[in-house]
Amino acid sequence: MQFILGVFLFVAVLGGVDAFLPWPKPRQSEGVK
Amino acid sequence: MIAGHFGFAAAVKSRETAAPLWALMLATVWLDVVFVPLFLTHVETIKAVSGPPGAYGGGEIFADYTHSLVGAVALSVLLGLGALVLWGRRSGLVIGAVAFSHWLLDLVVHRADMPILPGDIGRLPRLGLGLWRWPSASAGLELLLVLIGAALYWRAAAKAAHAAGRGPLLPTVAGSLTLAFGVLVLALDLFSAR
Repeated sequence: MQFILGVFLFVAVLGGVDAFLPWPKPRQSEGVK
Repeated sequence: MIAGHFGFAAAVKSRETAAPLWALMLATVWLDVVFVPLFLTHVETIKAVSGPPGAYGGGEIFADYTHSLVGAVALSVLLGLGALVLWGRRSGLVIGAVAFSHWLLDLVVHRADMPILPGDIGRLPRLGLGLWRWPSASAGLELLLVLIGAALYWRAAAKAAHAAGRGPLLPTVAGSLTLAFGVLVLALDLFSAR
Protein backbone atom coordinates (compact mmCIF):
# COMPACT_ATOMS: atom_id res chain seq x y z
CA MET A 1 0.00 0.00 0.00
CA GLN A 2 2.90 2.36 0.78
CA PHE A 3 4.24 1.55 -2.66
CA ILE A 4 0.94 2.57 -4.27
CA LEU A 5 0.74 5.80 -2.28
CA GLY A 6 4.35 6.56 -3.24
CA VAL A 7 3.52 6.05 -6.90
CA PHE A 8 0.64 8.51 -6.67
CA LEU A 9 2.87 11.05 -4.94
CA PHE A 10 5.35 10.76 -7.81
CA VAL A 11 2.55 11.18 -10.36
CA ALA A 12 1.43 14.36 -8.58
CA VAL A 13 4.99 15.76 -8.62
CA LEU A 14 5.50 14.88 -12.29
CA GLY A 15 2.12 16.32 -13.21
CA GLY A 16 2.97 19.51 -11.34
CA VAL A 17 6.25 19.96 -13.22
CA ASP A 18 4.57 19.12 -16.54
CA ALA A 19 1.91 21.78 -15.95
CA PHE A 20 4.61 24.47 -16.11
CA LEU A 21 5.85 23.39 -19.53
CA PRO A 22 4.72 25.61 -22.43
CA TRP A 23 2.90 22.89 -24.37
CA PRO A 24 1.41 24.15 -27.64
CA LYS A 25 -2.31 24.93 -27.58
CA PRO A 26 -4.32 22.55 -29.76
CA ARG A 27 -6.32 23.90 -32.67
CA GLN A 28 -10.09 24.35 -32.33
CA SER A 29 -10.62 21.59 -34.90
CA GLU A 30 -8.96 19.14 -32.51
CA GLY A 31 -11.94 19.16 -30.19
CA VAL A 32 -11.06 21.75 -27.61
CA LYS A 33 -13.97 22.97 -25.54
CA MET B 1 3.23 -4.22 -14.71
CA ILE B 2 3.25 -0.67 -13.40
CA ALA B 3 6.29 1.18 -14.73
CA GLY B 4 5.58 0.07 -18.31
CA HIS B 5 2.14 1.66 -18.16
CA PHE B 6 3.67 4.96 -17.05
CA GLY B 7 6.22 4.77 -19.87
CA PHE B 8 3.39 4.33 -22.34
CA ALA B 9 1.56 7.36 -20.86
CA ALA B 10 4.69 9.51 -21.22
CA ALA B 11 4.96 8.46 -24.87
CA VAL B 12 1.32 9.43 -25.47
CA LYS B 13 1.90 12.83 -23.83
CA SER B 14 4.67 13.53 -26.36
CA ARG B 15 2.04 13.34 -29.14
CA GLU B 16 -1.11 14.50 -27.34
CA THR B 17 0.12 17.59 -25.57
CA ALA B 18 -3.31 18.96 -24.62
CA ALA B 19 -3.97 16.18 -22.12
CA PRO B 20 -2.33 16.76 -18.70
CA LEU B 21 0.45 14.28 -17.91
CA TRP B 22 -1.03 13.45 -14.52
CA ALA B 23 -4.36 12.58 -16.17
CA LEU B 24 -2.64 10.31 -18.71
CA MET B 25 -0.70 8.61 -15.91
CA LEU B 26 -3.86 8.20 -13.88
CA ALA B 27 -5.63 6.82 -16.95
CA THR B 28 -2.89 4.30 -17.64
CA VAL B 29 -3.31 2.75 -14.18
CA TRP B 30 -7.05 3.46 -13.87
CA LEU B 31 -7.99 -0.23 -13.82
CA ASP B 32 -5.52 -0.78 -10.97
CA VAL B 33 -6.86 2.27 -9.11
CA VAL B 34 -10.33 0.70 -9.11
CA PHE B 35 -8.75 -2.68 -8.32
CA VAL B 36 -7.23 -1.46 -5.02
CA PRO B 37 -10.48 -1.06 -3.01
CA LEU B 38 -11.86 -4.28 -4.47
CA PHE B 39 -8.64 -6.06 -3.47
CA LEU B 40 -8.75 -4.62 0.04
CA THR B 41 -12.33 -5.86 0.41
CA HIS B 42 -11.40 -9.29 -1.03
CA VAL B 43 -13.75 -8.92 -4.00
CA GLU B 44 -10.71 -9.31 -6.27
CA THR B 45 -7.75 -11.42 -5.17
CA ILE B 46 -4.17 -12.39 -5.95
CA LYS B 47 -2.90 -15.95 -5.60
CA ALA B 48 0.87 -16.41 -5.39
CA VAL B 49 2.02 -19.04 -7.88
CA SER B 50 5.79 -18.50 -7.85
CA GLY B 51 8.14 -16.88 -5.37
CA PRO B 52 7.11 -15.13 -2.14
CA PRO B 53 3.73 -13.32 -1.89
CA GLY B 54 3.93 -10.00 -3.72
CA ALA B 55 6.93 -11.05 -5.81
CA TYR B 56 7.18 -9.39 -9.22
CA GLY B 57 4.94 -11.22 -11.67
CA GLY B 58 4.55 -14.11 -9.27
CA GLY B 59 0.79 -14.13 -8.93
CA GLU B 60 -2.41 -15.04 -10.64
CA ILE B 61 -4.60 -11.96 -10.33
CA PHE B 62 -8.30 -12.63 -10.11
CA ALA B 63 -9.41 -9.09 -10.91
CA ASP B 64 -12.60 -10.42 -12.40
CA TYR B 65 -14.36 -7.08 -12.65
CA THR B 66 -11.69 -4.43 -13.25
CA HIS B 67 -9.53 -6.54 -15.56
CA SER B 68 -12.24 -8.42 -17.44
CA LEU B 69 -12.35 -7.36 -21.09
CA VAL B 70 -15.86 -5.91 -20.83
CA GLY B 71 -15.16 -4.37 -17.41
CA ALA B 72 -12.01 -2.70 -18.76
CA VAL B 73 -13.94 -1.25 -21.70
CA ALA B 74 -16.65 0.07 -19.35
CA LEU B 75 -14.14 1.64 -16.93
CA SER B 76 -12.21 3.19 -19.82
CA VAL B 77 -15.38 4.70 -21.30
CA LEU B 78 -16.30 6.07 -17.89
CA LEU B 79 -12.92 7.78 -17.44
CA GLY B 80 -12.95 8.99 -21.04
CA LEU B 81 -16.34 10.61 -20.50
CA GLY B 82 -15.01 12.40 -17.41
CA ALA B 83 -12.03 13.67 -19.41
CA LEU B 84 -14.34 14.73 -22.24
CA VAL B 85 -16.31 16.92 -19.85
CA LEU B 86 -13.13 18.47 -18.44
CA TRP B 87 -10.91 18.85 -21.50
CA GLY B 88 -12.96 18.23 -24.64
CA ARG B 89 -13.60 15.47 -27.14
CA ARG B 90 -10.06 14.71 -28.25
CA SER B 91 -8.62 14.46 -24.74
CA GLY B 92 -11.62 12.34 -23.75
CA LEU B 93 -10.88 9.90 -26.56
CA VAL B 94 -7.16 9.86 -25.79
CA ILE B 95 -7.63 9.31 -22.05
CA GLY B 96 -10.23 6.60 -22.63
CA ALA B 97 -7.88 4.85 -25.06
CA VAL B 98 -4.93 5.15 -22.66
CA ALA B 99 -7.08 3.65 -19.90
CA PHE B 100 -7.87 0.66 -22.12
CA SER B 101 -4.19 0.33 -23.10
CA HIS B 102 -3.73 -0.97 -19.54
CA TRP B 103 -5.73 -4.07 -20.38
CA LEU B 104 -3.81 -4.64 -23.62
CA LEU B 105 -0.40 -4.35 -21.93
CA ASP B 106 -1.58 -6.53 -19.05
CA LEU B 107 -2.73 -9.12 -21.59
CA VAL B 108 0.92 -9.57 -22.58
CA VAL B 109 2.25 -10.17 -19.07
CA HIS B 110 -0.62 -11.75 -17.10
CA ARG B 111 -0.94 -15.45 -16.84
CA ALA B 112 -4.29 -16.61 -18.27
CA ASP B 113 -6.27 -14.96 -15.46
CA MET B 114 -8.16 -12.16 -17.22
CA PRO B 115 -11.81 -13.05 -17.88
CA ILE B 116 -13.82 -11.76 -20.81
CA LEU B 117 -17.01 -10.94 -18.91
CA PRO B 118 -17.22 -9.22 -15.48
CA GLY B 119 -17.33 -11.71 -12.62
CA ASP B 120 -16.20 -14.38 -15.08
CA ILE B 121 -19.83 -14.89 -16.09
CA GLY B 122 -20.21 -17.94 -18.32
CA ARG B 123 -16.74 -19.24 -17.35
CA LEU B 124 -15.36 -18.33 -20.76
CA PRO B 125 -11.64 -18.92 -21.34
CA ARG B 126 -9.44 -16.54 -19.37
CA LEU B 127 -6.90 -14.49 -21.31
CA GLY B 128 -3.22 -13.71 -20.77
CA LEU B 129 -0.03 -14.45 -22.69
CA GLY B 130 1.96 -15.03 -19.51
CA LEU B 131 5.19 -13.10 -20.03
CA TRP B 132 5.45 -12.90 -16.22
CA ARG B 133 6.59 -16.53 -16.30
CA TRP B 134 9.86 -15.04 -17.51
CA PRO B 135 10.38 -12.09 -15.14
CA SER B 136 13.56 -10.93 -16.88
CA ALA B 137 11.71 -10.65 -20.18
CA SER B 138 8.72 -8.80 -18.72
CA ALA B 139 10.99 -6.47 -16.73
CA GLY B 140 12.97 -5.85 -19.91
CA LEU B 141 9.76 -4.97 -21.76
CA GLU B 142 8.78 -2.56 -18.97
CA LEU B 143 12.22 -0.94 -18.99
CA LEU B 144 11.99 -0.53 -22.77
CA LEU B 145 8.60 1.18 -22.42
CA VAL B 146 9.99 3.48 -19.73
CA LEU B 147 13.08 4.40 -21.78
CA ILE B 148 11.14 5.03 -24.99
CA GLY B 149 8.35 6.92 -23.19
CA ALA B 150 10.73 9.13 -21.21
CA ALA B 151 12.87 9.85 -24.29
CA LEU B 152 9.85 10.83 -26.43
CA TYR B 153 8.41 12.96 -23.61
CA TRP B 154 11.76 14.66 -22.94
CA ARG B 155 12.24 15.43 -26.63
CA ALA B 156 8.70 16.82 -27.00
CA ALA B 157 9.08 18.95 -23.85
CA ALA B 158 12.39 20.37 -25.12
CA LYS B 159 10.81 21.14 -28.49
CA ALA B 160 7.83 22.89 -26.86
CA ALA B 161 10.12 24.97 -24.62
CA HIS B 162 12.33 25.92 -27.58
CA ALA B 163 9.29 26.98 -29.64
CA ALA B 164 8.13 29.17 -26.76
CA GLY B 165 11.56 30.79 -26.42
CA ARG B 166 12.23 29.13 -23.06
CA GLY B 167 15.47 27.59 -21.89
CA PRO B 168 16.20 23.87 -21.50
CA LEU B 169 16.03 23.77 -17.68
CA LEU B 170 12.36 22.87 -17.20
CA PRO B 171 12.20 20.22 -19.95
CA THR B 172 15.41 18.72 -18.60
CA VAL B 173 13.93 18.55 -15.10
CA ALA B 174 10.63 17.11 -16.38
CA GLY B 175 12.32 14.60 -18.69
CA SER B 176 14.84 13.38 -16.16
CA LEU B 177 12.15 13.12 -13.46
CA THR B 178 10.00 11.03 -15.81
CA LEU B 179 12.91 8.72 -16.54
CA ALA B 180 13.93 8.44 -12.87
CA PHE B 181 10.32 7.87 -11.82
CA GLY B 182 9.84 5.03 -14.30
CA VAL B 183 13.11 3.31 -13.38
CA LEU B 184 12.44 3.71 -9.65
CA VAL B 185 8.92 2.32 -9.89
CA LEU B 186 10.23 -0.66 -11.87
CA ALA B 187 13.02 -1.25 -9.33
CA LEU B 188 10.58 -1.11 -6.41
CA ASP B 189 8.17 -3.41 -8.22
CA LEU B 190 11.00 -5.86 -8.91
CA PHE B 191 12.70 -5.88 -5.54
CA SER B 192 10.09 -5.14 -2.90
CA ALA B 193 6.97 -7.07 -2.07
CA ARG B 194 3.93 -4.83 -1.68
